Amino acid sequence: MNSETTYSEQELVLLLQQRNNKAFGYLYDHYSAALYGIINSIVTNREIANDVLQNVFVNIWRKIDSYDSEKGRLFTWMLNIARNASIDEIRSKGFRDSQKNQSLDDNVNVTAGAAMSVTEDVGLRKILSKLKEEWRVLIDLSYFQGFTHEEIAKVLNMPLGTVKTRIRSALNHLRTVIK
Amino acid sequence: MNIKEYISSGIVESYVLGLASEEERSEFEQLCKQYPELIKARTEFEMELEGLAFKNAISPSEDLKSKVFNEINTQTKVISMSMDSLGRTNWWRYVAAACILLLAGSIYLNIILSNKNNKLKNDYNNTSAELAVMKKDIEKLRGNPDVKMASMKGTEISPQSFATVYWDTTTHDVYLMLNNLPKPASDKQYQLWALLDGQPIDIGLIDNKYFVEQDKLLVRAKNIQNAQAFAITLEKKGRADISKPGGPIYVVGNL
Repeated sequence: MNSETTYSEQELVLLLQQRNNKAFGYLYDHYSAALYGIINSIVTNREIANDVLQNVFVNIWRKIDSYDSEKGRLFTWMLNIARNASIDEIRSKGFRDSQKNQSLDDNVNVTAGAAMSVTEDVGLRKILSKLKEEWRVLIDLSYFQGFTHEEIAKVLNMPLGTVKTRIRSALNHLRTVIK
Repeated sequence: MNIKEYISSGIVESYVLGLASEEERSEFEQLCKQYPELIKARTEFEMELEGLAFKNAISPSEDLKSKVFNEINTQTKVISMSMDSLGRTNWWRYVAAACILLLAGSIYLNIILSNKNNKLKNDYNNTSAELAVMKKDIEKLRGNPDVKMASMKGTEISPQSFATVYWDTTTHDVYLMLNNLPKPASDKQYQLWALLDGQPIDIGLIDNKYFVEQDKLLVRAKNIQNAQAFAITLEKKGRADISKPGGPIYVVGNL
Protein backbone atom coordinates (compact mmCIF):
# COMPACT_ATOMS: atom_id res chain seq x y z
CA MET A 1 0.00 0.00 0.00
CA ASN A 2 1.53 3.25 -1.04
CA SER A 3 -1.26 5.28 0.43
CA GLU A 4 1.23 7.83 1.62
CA THR A 5 -1.27 10.53 0.83
CA THR A 6 -2.90 11.75 3.97
CA TYR A 7 -6.03 13.79 4.00
CA SER A 8 -7.36 16.21 6.52
CA GLU A 9 -10.78 15.16 7.73
CA GLN A 10 -12.33 18.02 5.78
CA GLU A 11 -10.66 17.00 2.53
CA LEU A 12 -11.58 13.42 3.08
CA VAL A 13 -15.25 14.22 3.63
CA LEU A 14 -15.33 16.45 0.58
CA LEU A 15 -13.77 13.80 -1.64
CA LEU A 16 -16.08 11.13 -0.26
CA GLN A 17 -19.06 13.30 -0.98
CA GLN A 18 -17.84 13.43 -4.57
CA ARG A 19 -17.74 9.62 -4.50
CA ASN A 20 -13.98 9.54 -4.91
CA ASN A 21 -12.82 5.93 -4.95
CA LYS A 22 -9.27 6.70 -3.90
CA ALA A 23 -10.42 8.63 -0.86
CA PHE A 24 -12.72 5.78 0.02
CA GLY A 25 -9.81 3.37 -0.26
CA TYR A 26 -7.87 5.57 2.13
CA LEU A 27 -10.82 5.68 4.49
CA TYR A 28 -11.05 1.91 4.46
CA ASP A 29 -7.33 1.38 4.99
CA HIS A 30 -7.23 3.93 7.74
CA TYR A 31 -10.37 3.16 9.72
CA SER A 32 -11.55 -0.39 8.97
CA ALA A 33 -9.52 -2.01 11.78
CA ALA A 34 -10.72 0.48 14.39
CA LEU A 35 -14.32 -0.01 13.29
CA TYR A 36 -13.86 -3.77 13.11
CA GLY A 37 -12.66 -3.64 16.71
CA ILE A 38 -15.90 -1.95 17.74
CA ILE A 39 -18.01 -4.36 15.75
CA ASN A 40 -16.27 -7.33 17.34
CA SER A 41 -16.83 -5.96 20.80
CA ILE A 42 -20.57 -6.16 20.12
CA VAL A 43 -20.98 -8.95 17.58
CA THR A 44 -19.12 -11.98 18.87
CA ASN A 45 -19.39 -14.07 15.73
CA ARG A 46 -16.50 -13.34 13.33
CA GLU A 47 -18.41 -14.20 10.18
CA ILE A 48 -21.31 -11.98 11.12
CA ALA A 49 -18.85 -9.27 12.14
CA ASN A 50 -17.41 -9.42 8.61
CA ASP A 51 -20.85 -8.90 7.11
CA VAL A 52 -21.48 -6.02 9.47
CA LEU A 53 -18.19 -4.33 8.57
CA GLN A 54 -19.02 -4.66 4.89
CA ASN A 55 -22.45 -3.13 5.45
CA VAL A 56 -20.96 -0.36 7.54
CA PHE A 57 -18.61 0.75 4.77
CA VAL A 58 -21.31 0.51 2.14
CA ASN A 59 -23.50 2.67 4.38
CA ILE A 60 -20.71 5.16 4.95
CA TRP A 61 -20.33 5.44 1.17
CA ARG A 62 -24.04 5.85 0.68
CA LYS A 63 -24.79 8.17 3.56
CA ILE A 64 -21.73 10.40 3.52
CA ASP A 65 -23.88 13.33 2.35
CA SER A 66 -25.74 13.22 5.64
CA TYR A 67 -22.57 13.58 7.69
CA ASP A 68 -22.60 16.95 9.45
CA SER A 69 -19.21 18.08 10.73
CA GLU A 70 -20.92 20.49 13.13
CA LYS A 71 -22.25 17.57 15.10
CA GLY A 72 -18.97 15.77 15.51
CA ARG A 73 -15.92 14.22 13.99
CA LEU A 74 -16.03 11.88 11.02
CA PHE A 75 -14.78 8.97 13.10
CA THR A 76 -17.50 9.49 15.71
CA TRP A 77 -20.07 9.40 12.94
CA MET A 78 -18.63 6.18 11.53
CA LEU A 79 -18.28 4.68 14.98
CA ASN A 80 -21.96 5.23 15.60
CA ILE A 81 -22.87 3.68 12.28
CA ALA A 82 -20.76 0.66 13.22
CA ARG A 83 -22.26 0.41 16.70
CA ASN A 84 -25.82 0.77 15.46
CA ALA A 85 -25.30 -1.80 12.73
CA SER A 86 -23.79 -4.21 15.24
CA ILE A 87 -26.60 -3.79 17.72
CA ASP A 88 -29.19 -4.18 14.97
CA GLU A 89 -27.45 -7.40 14.10
CA ILE A 90 -27.39 -8.89 17.61
CA ARG A 91 -31.00 -7.89 18.07
CA SER A 92 -32.08 -9.48 14.80
CA LYS A 93 -33.82 -12.80 14.96
CA GLY A 94 -31.24 -14.49 12.77
CA PHE A 95 -28.45 -13.64 15.17
CA ARG A 96 -30.41 -14.68 18.21
CA ASP A 97 -31.16 -18.01 16.57
CA SER A 98 -27.49 -18.55 15.78
CA GLN A 99 -26.58 -17.77 19.37
CA LYS A 100 -29.22 -19.92 21.03
CA ASN A 101 -26.70 -22.39 22.36
CA GLN A 102 -25.02 -19.49 24.12
CA SER A 103 -28.06 -18.87 26.30
CA LEU A 104 -28.85 -15.35 25.19
CA ASP A 105 -32.52 -15.07 25.85
CA ASP A 106 -34.57 -13.27 23.27
CA ASN A 107 -36.52 -11.35 25.82
CA VAL A 108 -35.21 -8.55 27.91
CA ASN A 109 -35.83 -10.37 31.17
CA VAL A 110 -32.37 -11.75 31.17
CA THR A 111 -30.26 -11.25 34.21
CA ALA A 112 -27.37 -8.90 33.86
CA GLY A 113 -25.03 -11.71 34.80
CA ALA A 114 -26.25 -13.95 32.01
CA ALA A 115 -26.03 -11.11 29.54
CA MET A 116 -22.50 -10.47 30.60
CA SER A 117 -21.42 -14.05 30.23
CA VAL A 118 -22.17 -14.04 26.53
CA THR A 119 -19.22 -11.98 25.51
CA GLU A 120 -15.62 -11.81 26.38
CA ASP A 121 -13.80 -8.54 26.43
CA VAL A 122 -12.84 -8.01 22.82
CA GLY A 123 -11.77 -4.78 21.22
CA LEU A 124 -13.22 -1.71 22.82
CA ARG A 125 -14.91 -3.85 25.39
CA LYS A 126 -11.58 -4.29 27.14
CA ILE A 127 -12.22 -0.92 28.69
CA LEU A 128 -14.97 -2.50 30.78
CA SER A 129 -12.51 -4.43 32.88
CA LYS A 130 -11.20 -1.14 34.16
CA LEU A 131 -14.57 -0.14 35.53
CA LYS A 132 -16.24 -0.91 38.83
CA GLU A 133 -18.75 -3.77 38.57
CA GLU A 134 -21.91 -1.64 38.86
CA TRP A 135 -20.70 0.69 36.12
CA ARG A 136 -19.40 -2.09 33.96
CA VAL A 137 -22.84 -3.69 33.75
CA LEU A 138 -24.48 -0.39 32.90
CA ILE A 139 -22.01 0.45 30.13
CA ASP A 140 -22.15 -3.05 28.78
CA LEU A 141 -25.91 -3.16 28.62
CA SER A 142 -26.38 0.31 27.25
CA TYR A 143 -23.42 0.77 24.95
CA PHE A 144 -22.42 -2.73 23.89
CA GLN A 145 -25.81 -4.37 23.94
CA GLY A 146 -27.90 -1.39 22.99
CA PHE A 147 -30.52 -1.69 25.69
CA THR A 148 -32.55 1.43 26.34
CA HIS A 149 -32.56 2.96 29.80
CA GLU A 150 -36.08 1.64 30.29
CA GLU A 151 -35.01 -1.89 29.40
CA ILE A 152 -32.02 -1.69 31.73
CA ALA A 153 -34.24 -0.45 34.55
CA LYS A 154 -36.38 -3.52 34.02
CA VAL A 155 -33.48 -5.95 33.72
CA LEU A 156 -31.67 -4.64 36.77
CA ASN A 157 -34.88 -3.96 38.66
CA MET A 158 -33.79 -0.39 39.27
CA PRO A 159 -35.75 2.87 39.11
CA LEU A 160 -35.37 4.55 35.71
CA GLY A 161 -34.01 7.74 37.28
CA THR A 162 -31.29 5.78 39.04
CA VAL A 163 -30.33 4.04 35.80
CA LYS A 164 -29.99 7.39 34.08
CA THR A 165 -27.84 9.02 36.72
CA ARG A 166 -25.69 5.94 37.18
CA ILE A 167 -25.06 5.63 33.46
CA ARG A 168 -24.09 9.28 33.40
CA SER A 169 -21.59 8.83 36.20
CA ALA A 170 -20.36 5.59 34.68
CA LEU A 171 -19.68 7.45 31.46
CA ASN A 172 -18.00 10.19 33.38
CA HIS A 173 -15.79 7.66 35.04
CA LEU A 174 -15.14 5.90 31.74
CA ARG A 175 -13.59 9.12 30.59
CA THR A 176 -10.97 9.07 33.33
CA VAL A 177 -10.22 5.44 32.52
CA ILE A 178 -9.69 6.18 28.84
CA LYS A 179 -7.24 8.91 29.68
CA MET B 1 -27.12 27.25 32.82
CA ASN B 2 -23.90 26.28 34.50
CA ILE B 3 -22.05 24.97 31.45
CA LYS B 4 -19.21 23.51 33.50
CA GLU B 5 -21.61 21.39 35.44
CA TYR B 6 -23.39 20.41 32.25
CA ILE B 7 -20.12 19.37 30.65
CA SER B 8 -19.11 17.22 33.60
CA SER B 9 -22.53 15.62 33.93
CA GLY B 10 -21.68 12.84 31.53
CA ILE B 11 -23.79 14.32 28.73
CA VAL B 12 -20.75 14.83 26.48
CA GLU B 13 -19.87 11.14 26.63
CA SER B 14 -23.48 10.14 26.37
CA TYR B 15 -23.91 12.30 23.26
CA VAL B 16 -20.73 11.15 21.52
CA LEU B 17 -21.35 7.47 22.25
CA GLY B 18 -24.84 7.72 20.84
CA LEU B 19 -26.53 6.99 24.16
CA ALA B 20 -28.33 10.31 24.56
CA SER B 21 -32.05 10.50 23.95
CA GLU B 22 -33.47 12.52 21.08
CA GLU B 23 -34.29 15.37 23.47
CA GLU B 24 -30.86 15.37 25.05
CA ARG B 25 -29.27 15.35 21.60
CA SER B 26 -31.11 18.39 20.31
CA GLU B 27 -30.47 20.26 23.57
CA PHE B 28 -26.79 19.40 23.30
CA GLU B 29 -26.61 20.55 19.70
CA GLN B 30 -28.35 23.81 20.58
CA LEU B 31 -25.94 24.46 23.44
CA CYS B 32 -22.96 23.73 21.18
CA LYS B 33 -23.92 26.77 19.17
CA GLN B 34 -23.76 28.94 22.28
CA TYR B 35 -20.85 27.46 24.18
CA PRO B 36 -17.56 26.88 22.37
CA GLU B 37 -16.27 25.14 25.49
CA LEU B 38 -18.92 22.49 25.00
CA ILE B 39 -17.64 21.82 21.49
CA LYS B 40 -14.13 21.69 22.91
CA ALA B 41 -15.16 19.13 25.51
CA ARG B 42 -16.96 17.10 22.87
CA THR B 43 -13.98 17.11 20.51
CA GLU B 44 -11.66 16.12 23.35
CA PHE B 45 -13.74 13.11 24.19
CA GLU B 46 -14.13 12.20 20.53
CA MET B 47 -10.34 12.19 20.15
CA GLU B 48 -9.93 10.05 23.27
CA LEU B 49 -12.52 7.62 22.01
CA GLU B 50 -10.88 7.52 18.62
CA GLY B 51 -7.55 6.79 20.28
CA LEU B 52 -9.15 4.03 22.29
CA ALA B 53 -10.74 2.52 19.21
CA PHE B 54 -7.40 2.55 17.40
CA LYS B 55 -5.72 0.96 20.39
CA ASN B 56 -8.28 -1.84 20.32
CA ALA B 57 -8.39 -2.17 16.56
CA ILE B 58 -8.69 -5.61 14.94
CA SER B 59 -7.60 -5.99 11.33
CA PRO B 60 -10.26 -7.50 9.12
CA SER B 61 -9.27 -10.11 6.54
CA GLU B 62 -7.86 -8.80 3.27
CA ASP B 63 -10.65 -10.03 1.01
CA LEU B 64 -13.22 -7.88 2.81
CA LYS B 65 -11.95 -4.71 1.17
CA SER B 66 -12.56 -6.00 -2.35
CA LYS B 67 -16.02 -7.15 -1.31
CA VAL B 68 -16.82 -3.66 -0.08
CA PHE B 69 -15.48 -2.10 -3.28
CA ASN B 70 -17.42 -4.49 -5.44
CA GLU B 71 -20.59 -3.54 -3.68
CA ILE B 72 -20.06 0.21 -3.75
CA ASN B 73 -19.03 0.15 -7.40
CA THR B 74 -22.23 -1.54 -8.44
CA GLN B 75 -24.06 1.05 -6.41
CA THR B 76 -22.06 3.96 -7.81
CA LYS B 77 -23.56 3.52 -11.24
CA VAL B 78 -26.97 4.12 -9.85
CA ILE B 79 -25.81 7.02 -7.73
CA SER B 80 -23.85 8.78 -10.47
CA MET B 81 -26.73 8.51 -12.88
CA SER B 82 -29.07 10.19 -10.47
CA MET B 83 -26.42 12.80 -9.75
CA ASP B 84 -26.22 13.67 -13.44
CA SER B 85 -29.91 14.04 -13.81
CA LEU B 86 -30.12 16.01 -10.60
CA GLY B 87 -28.08 18.80 -11.96
CA ARG B 88 -24.41 18.36 -12.35
CA THR B 89 -22.60 18.16 -15.66
CA ASN B 90 -25.20 17.23 -18.24
CA TRP B 91 -28.52 18.20 -16.77
CA TRP B 92 -29.39 20.33 -19.80
CA ARG B 93 -29.21 17.28 -22.05
CA TYR B 94 -31.95 15.65 -20.10
CA VAL B 95 -33.96 18.81 -20.12
CA ALA B 96 -33.43 19.16 -23.87
CA ALA B 97 -34.36 15.53 -24.44
CA ALA B 98 -37.46 15.97 -22.33
CA CYS B 99 -38.36 19.12 -24.28
CA ILE B 100 -37.97 17.34 -27.61
CA LEU B 101 -40.12 14.49 -26.39
CA LEU B 102 -42.74 16.90 -25.15
CA LEU B 103 -42.65 18.82 -28.40
CA ALA B 104 -42.97 15.66 -30.48
CA GLY B 105 -45.87 14.55 -28.33
CA SER B 106 -47.49 17.92 -28.67
CA ILE B 107 -47.13 17.97 -32.48
CA TYR B 108 -48.56 14.50 -32.72
CA LEU B 109 -51.51 15.49 -30.59
CA ASN B 110 -51.98 18.63 -32.63
CA ILE B 111 -52.20 16.64 -35.83
CA ILE B 112 -54.66 14.19 -34.35
CA LEU B 113 -56.79 16.91 -32.84
CA SER B 114 -56.65 19.04 -35.95
CA ASN B 115 -57.78 16.09 -38.09
CA LYS B 116 -60.57 15.39 -35.68
CA ASN B 117 -61.49 19.04 -35.67
CA ASN B 118 -61.56 19.21 -39.47
CA LYS B 119 -63.78 16.18 -39.64
CA LEU B 120 -66.17 17.67 -37.10
CA LYS B 121 -66.17 20.94 -39.03
CA ASN B 122 -67.01 19.11 -42.26
CA ASP B 123 -69.71 17.08 -40.61
CA TYR B 124 -71.17 20.20 -39.11
CA ASN B 125 -71.08 22.09 -42.40
CA ASN B 126 -72.69 19.21 -44.25
CA THR B 127 -75.36 18.80 -41.65
CA SER B 128 -76.24 22.47 -41.49
CA ALA B 129 -76.36 22.65 -45.30
CA GLU B 130 -78.73 19.71 -45.34
CA LEU B 131 -80.81 21.28 -42.63
CA ALA B 132 -81.00 24.57 -44.56
CA VAL B 133 -82.23 22.75 -47.66
CA MET B 134 -84.83 20.89 -45.62
CA LYS B 135 -86.03 24.10 -44.01
CA LYS B 136 -86.39 25.64 -47.43
CA ASP B 137 -88.30 22.59 -48.61
CA ILE B 138 -90.68 22.73 -45.69
CA GLU B 139 -91.29 26.42 -46.33
CA LYS B 140 -92.14 25.58 -49.89
CA LEU B 141 -94.62 22.90 -48.85
CA ARG B 142 -96.27 24.91 -46.16
CA GLY B 143 -99.40 26.59 -47.29
CA ASN B 144 -98.70 25.82 -50.91
CA PRO B 145 -102.01 24.96 -52.60
CA ASP B 146 -100.19 23.20 -55.43
CA VAL B 147 -98.69 20.58 -53.09
CA LYS B 148 -100.51 17.29 -52.89
CA MET B 149 -99.99 14.84 -50.09
CA ALA B 150 -100.01 11.07 -50.08
CA SER B 151 -100.06 9.30 -46.73
CA MET B 152 -98.53 5.91 -47.13
CA LYS B 153 -99.75 3.34 -44.61
CA GLY B 154 -97.95 0.24 -43.52
CA THR B 155 -98.62 -3.00 -45.31
CA GLU B 156 -99.11 -6.34 -43.64
CA ILE B 157 -95.44 -6.93 -43.13
CA SER B 158 -95.09 -3.66 -41.26
CA PRO B 159 -98.46 -2.32 -40.12
CA GLN B 160 -96.91 0.30 -37.83
CA SER B 161 -95.03 1.92 -40.68
CA PHE B 162 -96.06 5.25 -41.99
CA ALA B 163 -94.57 7.79 -44.41
CA THR B 164 -95.80 10.82 -46.29
CA VAL B 165 -95.08 12.09 -49.77
CA TYR B 166 -95.54 15.71 -50.73
CA TRP B 167 -95.70 16.33 -54.43
CA ASP B 168 -95.62 19.75 -55.96
CA THR B 169 -97.87 19.55 -58.98
CA THR B 170 -96.32 22.58 -60.66
CA THR B 171 -92.61 22.00 -60.07
CA HIS B 172 -92.99 18.20 -59.85
CA ASP B 173 -90.71 18.10 -56.85
CA VAL B 174 -91.21 15.12 -54.55
CA TYR B 175 -90.60 15.23 -50.82
CA LEU B 176 -90.76 12.27 -48.56
CA MET B 177 -91.32 12.39 -44.85
CA LEU B 178 -90.21 9.30 -43.00
CA ASN B 179 -92.71 9.29 -40.19
CA ASN B 180 -92.15 5.78 -39.01
CA LEU B 181 -90.14 3.17 -40.79
CA PRO B 182 -88.00 0.49 -39.17
CA LYS B 183 -84.31 0.99 -39.59
CA PRO B 184 -83.13 -1.25 -42.41
CA ALA B 185 -80.34 -3.80 -41.99
CA SER B 186 -77.03 -2.52 -43.23
CA ASP B 187 -77.24 -4.55 -46.44
CA LYS B 188 -80.78 -3.33 -47.19
CA GLN B 189 -82.13 -0.03 -48.34
CA TYR B 190 -85.59 1.52 -48.87
CA GLN B 191 -86.65 2.72 -52.29
CA LEU B 192 -89.42 5.17 -53.12
CA TRP B 193 -91.68 4.52 -56.08
CA ALA B 194 -94.27 6.55 -57.90
CA LEU B 195 -97.10 4.42 -59.28
CA LEU B 196 -98.63 5.40 -62.56
CA ASP B 197 -101.13 3.17 -64.27
CA GLY B 198 -100.01 0.27 -62.10
CA GLN B 199 -96.38 0.72 -63.12
CA PRO B 200 -93.72 1.55 -60.52
CA ILE B 201 -91.34 4.36 -61.38
CA ASP B 202 -88.14 4.70 -59.34
CA ILE B 203 -87.91 8.08 -57.70
CA GLY B 204 -85.02 7.41 -55.42
CA LEU B 205 -83.14 5.17 -53.02
CA ILE B 206 -83.40 6.31 -49.46
CA ASP B 207 -80.06 6.57 -47.77
CA ASN B 208 -79.85 4.60 -44.53
CA LYS B 209 -78.35 7.64 -42.79
CA TYR B 210 -81.87 9.02 -42.50
CA PHE B 211 -82.67 6.28 -40.06
CA VAL B 212 -79.98 7.14 -37.59
CA GLU B 213 -82.25 9.19 -35.41
CA GLN B 214 -85.84 9.06 -34.41
CA ASP B 215 -86.64 12.43 -35.89
CA LYS B 216 -89.06 12.61 -38.76
CA LEU B 217 -87.04 13.62 -41.73
CA LEU B 218 -88.05 15.19 -44.96
CA VAL B 219 -86.11 13.73 -47.84
CA ARG B 220 -86.12 15.05 -51.31
CA ALA B 221 -86.75 12.51 -54.02
CA LYS B 222 -86.51 12.66 -57.82
CA ASN B 223 -88.98 14.74 -59.72
CA ILE B 224 -91.91 12.95 -61.23
CA GLN B 225 -94.19 14.28 -63.95
CA ASN B 226 -97.24 12.37 -62.92
CA ALA B 227 -98.26 9.86 -60.26
CA GLN B 228 -101.36 8.27 -58.79
CA ALA B 229 -99.82 6.63 -55.79
CA PHE B 230 -96.53 6.19 -53.98
CA ALA B 231 -94.91 3.23 -52.27
CA ILE B 232 -91.75 2.28 -50.46
CA THR B 233 -90.08 -1.11 -50.82
CA LEU B 234 -87.18 -2.61 -48.96
CA GLU B 235 -84.49 -3.64 -51.39
CA LYS B 236 -81.10 -5.27 -51.30
CA LYS B 237 -78.37 -2.71 -51.27
CA GLY B 238 -76.32 -2.27 -54.45
CA ARG B 239 -78.47 -4.38 -56.74
CA ALA B 240 -77.85 -4.00 -60.50
CA ASP B 241 -81.21 -2.90 -61.84
CA ILE B 242 -82.91 -0.38 -59.63
CA SER B 243 -85.65 0.49 -62.11
CA LYS B 244 -87.81 -2.44 -60.99
CA PRO B 245 -88.80 -3.20 -57.42
CA GLY B 246 -87.69 -6.56 -56.05
CA GLY B 247 -88.33 -6.43 -52.33
CA PRO B 248 -91.47 -6.28 -50.21
CA ILE B 249 -93.63 -3.16 -50.02
CA TYR B 250 -93.55 -1.49 -46.59
CA VAL B 251 -95.86 1.44 -47.11
CA VAL B 252 -98.21 2.51 -49.87
CA GLY B 253 -100.69 5.38 -50.36
CA ASN B 254 -102.74 7.18 -53.01
CA LEU B 255 -102.43 10.83 -53.80
